[in-house]
Amino acid sequence: MPLFLRALLLLCLGCLAAGKLCAADFQVVIVSSERSPAYQEAADALLGELERQGVPRKTTLQITPSELGTGGELTARLFVTLGADAAMAVVKADPRAPILCTLLPQESFERVRRDSGRRSNSVLSAVYINQPLNRQMDLVRLALPDAGRVGLILGDGSQGQIPAVESAAQSRGFKLVIAVVAPGEPVFKGLKKILEEADLLLAWPDQQIYNSNSIQNVLLASFRARVPLIGFSSAYVRAGALVAVYSTPAQIGIQAGATARGVLQGKTMPPPQYPVEFTVSVNEHVARSLGLTLDASALGERLRAMEQR
Amino acid sequence: MMLNIRSRMLLAALLPVTLVALMLAAVFLILRVGDNEGTHHQRARSLIRQVASASEYGMFSANTSSLQTIAAGILREADVLSVTIIDVQGGVLVRAGKAAQAKLPALSEVESERVDTVTGRDLLTQPILAAQVVLDDVQDRPGPVATSSRQLLGHVVMEFSRDSLNRREREMLAAGLAITLGGLLFGVALAALIGRGVVTPIMRVSRMIERIGSGDLSVRQKIAQDDPLRDLQEGLNQMAARLESGRDELEQRIAAATLELREKKEEAELATLAKSRFLAAASHDLRQPTHALGMFVARLGQLHHDGQTRQLVNNLESSVRALQDLLDGLMDLSKLDVGVIQTHVVPMPVNDVFDQIRQAMRSVAVEKGLHFRVRPTRVWVRSDPYLLQRILLNLVANAVRYTQRGSVLIACRAPSGSGRVRIEVWDSGIGIAPEYHEQVFKEFFQVGNSERDRSKGLGLGLNIVERTAQLLSHPFSLRSSLGQGTRFTLELPLAESGAALTLPEVVDSMATISLQGVSLLVIEDDALASVGMVGLLESWGCAVTSAQSAATALEQMALNGEPDVIISDYRLPDGENGIATVALLRQIAGRPIPACLVSGDTDQALVNRAKVAGLTLLHKPVRPAKLRSLLRSLVRLDAGTRSAGRT
Repeated sequence: MPLFLRALLLLCLGCLAAGKLCAADFQVVIVSSERSPAYQEAADALLGELERQGVPRKTTLQITPSELGTGGELTARLFVTLGADAAMAVVKADPRAPILCTLLPQESFERVRRDSGRRSNSVLSAVYINQPLNRQMDLVRLALPDAGRVGLILGDGSQGQIPAVESAAQSRGFKLVIAVVAPGEPVFKGLKKILEEADLLLAWPDQQIYNSNSIQNVLLASFRARVPLIGFSSAYVRAGALVAVYSTPAQIGIQAGATARGVLQGKTMPPPQYPVEFTVSVNEHVARSLGLTLDASALGERLRAMEQR
Repeated sequence: MMLNIRSRMLLAALLPVTLVALMLAAVFLILRVGDNEGTHHQRARSLIRQVASASEYGMFSANTSSLQTIAAGILREADVLSVTIIDVQGGVLVRAGKAAQAKLPALSEVESERVDTVTGRDLLTQPILAAQVVLDDVQDRPGPVATSSRQLLGHVVMEFSRDSLNRREREMLAAGLAITLGGLLFGVALAALIGRGVVTPIMRVSRMIERIGSGDLSVRQKIAQDDPLRDLQEGLNQMAARLESGRDELEQRIAAATLELREKKEEAELATLAKSRFLAAASHDLRQPTHALGMFVARLGQLHHDGQTRQLVNNLESSVRALQDLLDGLMDLSKLDVGVIQTHVVPMPVNDVFDQIRQAMRSVAVEKGLHFRVRPTRVWVRSDPYLLQRILLNLVANAVRYTQRGSVLIACRAPSGSGRVRIEVWDSGIGIAPEYHEQVFKEFFQVGNSERDRSKGLGLGLNIVERTAQLLSHPFSLRSSLGQGTRFTLELPLAESGAALTLPEVVDSMATISLQGVSLLVIEDDALASVGMVGLLESWGCAVTSAQSAATALEQMALNGEPDVIISDYRLPDGENGIATVALLRQIAGRPIPACLVSGDTDQALVNRAKVAGLTLLHKPVRPAKLRSLLRSLVRLDAGTRSAGRT
């Protein structure tokens, strides 16, 4: 009898402990910088991918950085962040679980990684939002076969990228025309040089040069000089860029979901990767004005085919 | 008043019109000026915005020539005076037009504008901001840098002229004033027109009421079919008609009533006249036998009688005297009634009258055993000597009559400074109860003589006294109570003392003239009267011849020579009269034979005729004493004239 009682007590305690473990632990916690449509699109794609792979939605949690600190110590097997802000916040909270950063440019991820103590890919990795340089160069080649000189305006902080750009350009036979604009200096000064010397302007994600205030004038100036601008998001195409290659949040979400599934299945986290899936978009009005005929889907196909080769 | 109504009407009509016109004009002007100002500012602002937005790329690309083109283009717009484009550092990139303002206004990221009061220009500033393209993708913000606000590229400063604005405002003001003035004029015309339609009838009604008020009730108003005051005027016409008919009816009634009254008055006058005539006739017819009776009794009194007969004769004499008094009183009364008594107010000494009264009444009073006293006085009064004597004689006679024992006192006092004289008649007689104080002055009223004992008089005295005192304006009062005696007071105006009349002395001297042997011609148609008078005169020692008419008188004079004195009745047979007969006799005699008239008529006309003819008139019944004294005076006067004629 005492033995039975003792066994029962142990069982109860065990159940309690197990219950507590079940309540606190999530398979995946998604921390989203904000709940705007783009982020939600990525989150939904990620959750959908996980669900398709057998991770029930109730074992996941979607929060914002502000909610991170309020629920006590969250324990999960994997943290997935959407956006740079979320990545920064989660790294700062420093959970025991590995962190997968998505929906952020490579530049931002590297800053996050510098700030955290984590060096190993297995505990901190990423799916970048920006396209690999090669893909962009390939797109330039496909869209503008006659172009030889690629113009590039960089802010002060982006000068470190120049060697990588140069090698990618050289490998495809492009000549780079680079203008560096110091902070406080008019963008038009550098732009003027590019528009005079280059065949096209490759937009580089640098806030100092390309922002919502400047983009219209940059586009206007390049359009007047009949120098096409190659963008890096759909918004650029809408604003007047000739063509852009980019990954939609859903495409990135799906890629992140696949990575997360691997981690949940016990695989180690892969190193930071560029998005695999991408979309090519063309502003046909601009193309027509420039006397070009471009087809977005054909370009995308050819680009994918080029990469798979 | 008319003007008042008209101006009020005009005011009532004009005031709202004026107010509305002014308010409309004010609202119109305020709104229009506001609109104009608003439009001006909106246009200026939209122009400068246009410049700012057009300049954006030029600013971005630092393309001064393109900015110059823009500025030159905008300068062609009306009212634009100058355009200045300034970069974000404050450097002037482009300046076009003639800027009055050398100094640029403070620049900020907001639009601003101000009116330069000196130059009369609007100074507008507009920031040039970079157009923002929404890049909502996640890639737009690879870094933590947030770009929320639009980038400031520079500023546009423009100067606008207000000349055209001011000109338009002036034009609007002029238009507003013109409209207001026009509205007012129209209002005045309309008000005058409408006002006339109302005021004219009001004035018509007012005039009509004025005429009715002044008594012209025949006024009627012609009413037009469309008259606004038609009902009122109809009512007025009706009112005037009713007033007129009412007044006519009233006048008719008054006329009828007046006629009736007049008839009654005439009746009453006729009745009074008849009464007077009756009285006159009766008194005349009474006088004749009474006159004769008086003569006979006087003659009888002169004869010698035994004691018993003497007593009878005395009673007879007093009865005749009472009868004569009655007739005298009635005569006085009738004179007062007819109002023929003329007063001759003169300054006179009261004592003269007192003497006469003393003489007349003393013997009667003493006979009655009364203490009779007349207090002498030197006071003069203004009064009619004859009438005053009548009054006092009446009062004293009254006092003596009603006083059985004690005294009768006549006195006069003149309180100093009052200018009045009070003549008082006191007696210690039976007195008059207060309730009779009023009634004693009525004709034929006698206290305690309901059986009308004639020895107590007739009750005419006090009535005559009061009426005579009234005639002389002498206040007359009575103070008495039963058993306490009576005091009558007559108030007269005081007069200055003057020369005393010498009449009493004349009378005294006359008493000595004898009538013995005086030849008299008595002309009297009434046989009894003639016989009585002749007898009496003969008893006085006169040689009397009598005649019944003028003819017999002439015969008598022819037969007996001319008489010393002629006594003629006034009324003679065959329509002849005493005055004419005496004149005739005098003419024949060739000298004014002293004569006197005797008549039963109390007619004032007769008295006047006698006076004109210079004849003394004696009323029948003639008192023998009076006749004798008259005869004496006539004889004496005649003697005087004759002696004068002889010398």
